[in-house]
Amino acid sequence: MSTIAETAPRDQTRRRTRFDGWRWGGRIFLVFMLLYTALPMIWMLITSIKSGFAAMQFPPQWWPDEPTLASYQKLLDPQNSVGQDFLRFFWNSLYVSTATTILSVIVAVPAAYAFSRFTFPGRNFLFFAVLLRNMFPAVIFLVPLFILMRAIGLVNTHGSLILTYLTFGLPLAIWLLKGFYDNIPVQLEQAARIDGATRFQAFILIVMPLSAPGIIATAIYSFIGAWNEYIYAYTFLSKNEQLTLPVGIQRFFSENTTDFPGLMAASFMMSVPVVVLFLVLQRYFVRALTEGAVKH
Amino acid sequence: MTIVAGKTGARQRLRPLLRKIWEHRADYAYVLPAIAVMLIVIAYPIYYTIELSFFNTPPGLQLRDKIFIGVDNYTAILTSPVFWKVTSNTLIWTLASTFIAFVLGFGCALALHRDFIGRGVLRAILIIPWVISAVAASYIWKWIYHSDFGIIGAVLVGLGLADRPPNFIDSVSTVLPSLIVVNIWREFPFAMIMMMAGLQTVPDQLLRAAKVDGANAWQRFWHVTFPHLRNVSTVTILLLAVANFNSFIIPWIMTGGGPSNASHIWITHIYELAFGRQRWGVASAYSVLLFFILMTLGYFYVRALSGNDRKDGSA
Amino acid sequence: MAHVVLKDLIKTYGSFKAVNEVSLTVNDGEFVALVGPSGCGKTTTLNLIAGLIPITSGDILIGDRVVNELDPKDRDIAMVFQNYALYPQKSVYMNLAFPLQMRKLPKDEIDKKVREAARVLDMTQLLERKPRELSGGQQQRVALGRALVRDPAVFLMDEPLSNLDAKLRVQMRSEIKRFHQDLKATIVYVTHDQLEAVTMADRMAVMNGGYLQQYDSPAQVFAHPANMFVASFVGSPAMSLIPLQASTANGGIVLTSAEGWSLALSQPNARKVQRATSGKVVLGARHSTIKLHKSAVAGAIPAKAYTVEPTGDVTFVQAFLSGAIVNISVPPTIAVAPDEQIWLEFDQERIHLFDGETEMALQAN
Repeated sequence: MSTIAETAPRDQTRRRTRFDGWRWGGRIFLVFMLLYTALPMIWMLITSIKSGFAAMQFPPQWWPDEPTLASYQKLLDPQNSVGQDFLRFFWNSLYVSTATTILSVIVAVPAAYAFSRFTFPGRNFLFFAVLLRNMFPAVIFLVPLFILMRAIGLVNTHGSLILTYLTFGLPLAIWLLKGFYDNIPVQLEQAARIDGATRFQAFILIVMPLSAPGIIATAIYSFIGAWNEYIYAYTFLSKNEQLTLPVGIQRFFSENTTDFPGLMAASFMMSVPVVVLFLVLQRYFVRALTEGAVKH
Repeated sequence: MTIVAGKTGARQRLRPLLRKIWEHRADYAYVLPAIAVMLIVIAYPIYYTIELSFFNTPPGLQLRDKIFIGVDNYTAILTSPVFWKVTSNTLIWTLASTFIAFVLGFGCALALHRDFIGRGVLRAILIIPWVISAVAASYIWKWIYHSDFGIIGAVLVGLGLADRPPNFIDSVSTVLPSLIVVNIWREFPFAMIMMMAGLQTVPDQLLRAAKVDGANAWQRFWHVTFPHLRNVSTVTILLLAVANFNSFIIPWIMTGGGPSNASHIWITHIYELAFGRQRWGVASAYSVLLFFILMTLGYFYVRALSGNDRKDGSA
Repeated sequence: MAHVVLKDLIKTYGSFKAVNEVSLTVNDGEFVALVGPSGCGKTTTLNLIAGLIPITSGDILIGDRVVNELDPKDRDIAMVFQNYALYPQKSVYMNLAFPLQMRKLPKDEIDKKVREAARVLDMTQLLERKPRELSGGQQQRVALGRALVRDPAVFLMDEPLSNLDAKLRVQMRSEIKRFHQDLKATIVYVTHDQLEAVTMADRMAVMNGGYLQQYDSPAQVFAHPANMFVASFVGSPAMSLIPLQASTANGGIVLTSAEGWSLALSQPNARKVQRATSGKVVLGARHSTIKLHKSAVAGAIPAKAYTVEPTGDVTFVQAFLSGAIVNISVPPTIAVAPDEQIWLEFDQERIHLFDGETEMALQAN
């Protein structure tokens, strides 16, 4: 007995010191990752408030001598041709992303529900066929899709982008939502149907509200994917007034290669909507991943 | 399920199968929109790509006037030195990006698992690179790497580590690692989110039981946490690998594949062949090869997913 | 209220027969329990009546209406689920109101009925709560209220008590029984707990392997189990079933054990055994009908006590006879020790005899 009593405290202190080692390692690691993540973004912001001349200094000005919002004013000024373009790109991106998001939800929700609830023949095959879409790069589909879009008259329209973006978002959306529906007891729907609801009403009135976090997560994912997409927009659209932000900015700055403050300001403003959207709704996203994708 | 018909009696099984399909006809209505969209945007392109890969499409010729040349496109690809250069670039790019992004993301998830003041804010900041557009990320890093006014070069010179700012993305030897750093910057948050979600599912009871059994922190991680996360890890690594294999924006915008192909990976190379040099046939053949590689990866992906999805949601 | 008729009801999943030619009638106002071990088809049968799964063949009548193809909502039924299936996002009030809203009742009438149901079930003060803020018993009561609020033709209950703790279960059992008596409701009640069925139901339908084994009042089922399955399933502790060999001796019939002892049967029991398809006969006896002696008695069979479980007002003794476990109950005043030599005497009036081949109860005529 006495030996145990003697060794126990020593054992505990040893464990505590080792534990602190882990914790300190974790802290240092997090600080390193924070710097890696944040410094480039901070540098983007600092550059964006410099004048074109101030940006082109060596050694660089760590903080601009004369901070200026000129780049932002130029981009947001509807009187100026740069501003007109930027605002138009912005609206184009917003339109394409919103339409994609709405359609994704409309298509993914019933599909995920069916994959979760029904046992029709070919269910697993179709489910994995949908998931396999994630495997293939945009470029494989680029040429034939371009020809296809030309054939159905969608080239140089936003419709071509919406249709293609839909397929990016769908696999993950269906997968996430299926996980959600798997976790909603089927008895709830049965109860609703016995209480007088049709299958559709049971779905709309009972299941849909319960899967709201999953739907929100799906929507964020679709929106961000569409907002940031570059390669299809770059290939399908050629008219200046239709470009989305990523392509528009690239076109614009390939003509003004030295306007780094303008480029950084544009990059910042392009990032604001999705970052805000994501930060506001991120808890749904993590929850959806936990419940939908990971927990099985 | 019903798709699998045995060697014997496939005919006999067909009738019940058709009947079953008919009985479940209403169920298909739910998945039809999804399947239809996927068919248009996937099945047709795949077919067309395979067809085109057997044709020669000289620049300036209308695509419908393509010339059948059999497997010449394939032999041309496999014997070209550029192909092997691009393939090795792709491998380095994919493996390095995937591995490092996963390790960093997993590390962040573990470090963020325990609650502390400011955890939420820190997590939010770490996620941002994943959310912002790759185009924006490319420009930010292009500016950071800038050979005259880049901040990293300035810091190195300031610390006396270099005489003049190095050429990160204009030099054959440093361009690929430099781009990989950018790619990891954008991707590790994804691994972090996935692994954070996975960590939440590790049952506390098991960890407590292991503690009672005398396991230290490392042993608890290795014997309880990590085995529990195997499925999530597999899926995460596969998704990262596929995404990296399919990367385009970062190399395309930052270097366009240069200098002298040092940062060309498969996708940028295919894009350049198709849209830059109008060599649709060769580009399609490349795509088909890529397709087979991805199908192999896809096999493991589905295997990992179905291992993750053993629970049968039935009505 | 209405009666329910099942005619040759069959449900198959591929080659698996979940419900097999089940026919039974639930009279208007009757409380019928479907009881059996898990996987016996009782819940499937209930879901078929509810219309939640399509039937393979046969007929279901509610009232005089064939409802085979009707949607659940058109069958005029209410159902209480094992996990209560309360809508988690809705308050108790809205849970109760939902079935009425679906039937497009005017708002003031809904309010009146919801408050009336809440009053009956004594949960007026809970109306604004969400289901997750309620205890198991309260949730159960809300589920009951949701069923009762719209006055359906039939109540279907799927193991409504099995998620409750033991004490609450006994309490809710009497509440449901009370509820049945007050409403004169037709109730089909699924349970795996034979005690619930015996205590609550007017008639119980014992199921096993998708087949209906016996459909009768609990007293009849208890006193005259139709076969060995029913005999072993109903009653606690289970009826002891001892496999024996029948033979003629001295003009009477004797059951002989492989262990060497034998039991001479009375005249009526001998007549039953004569109808057996072979010499294999199973002797069944309930714990309370076996007499335990601590010394040798004429006609008593020697055995060794294996375990002894005092429960307070009665002590259960287990022994082995012919390789089968035999349960005997004795008053707590009789002290029996494990491994003690005992003698067991069967009451010829109250033993059950089963055909060892068909497992069916042997009848005298």
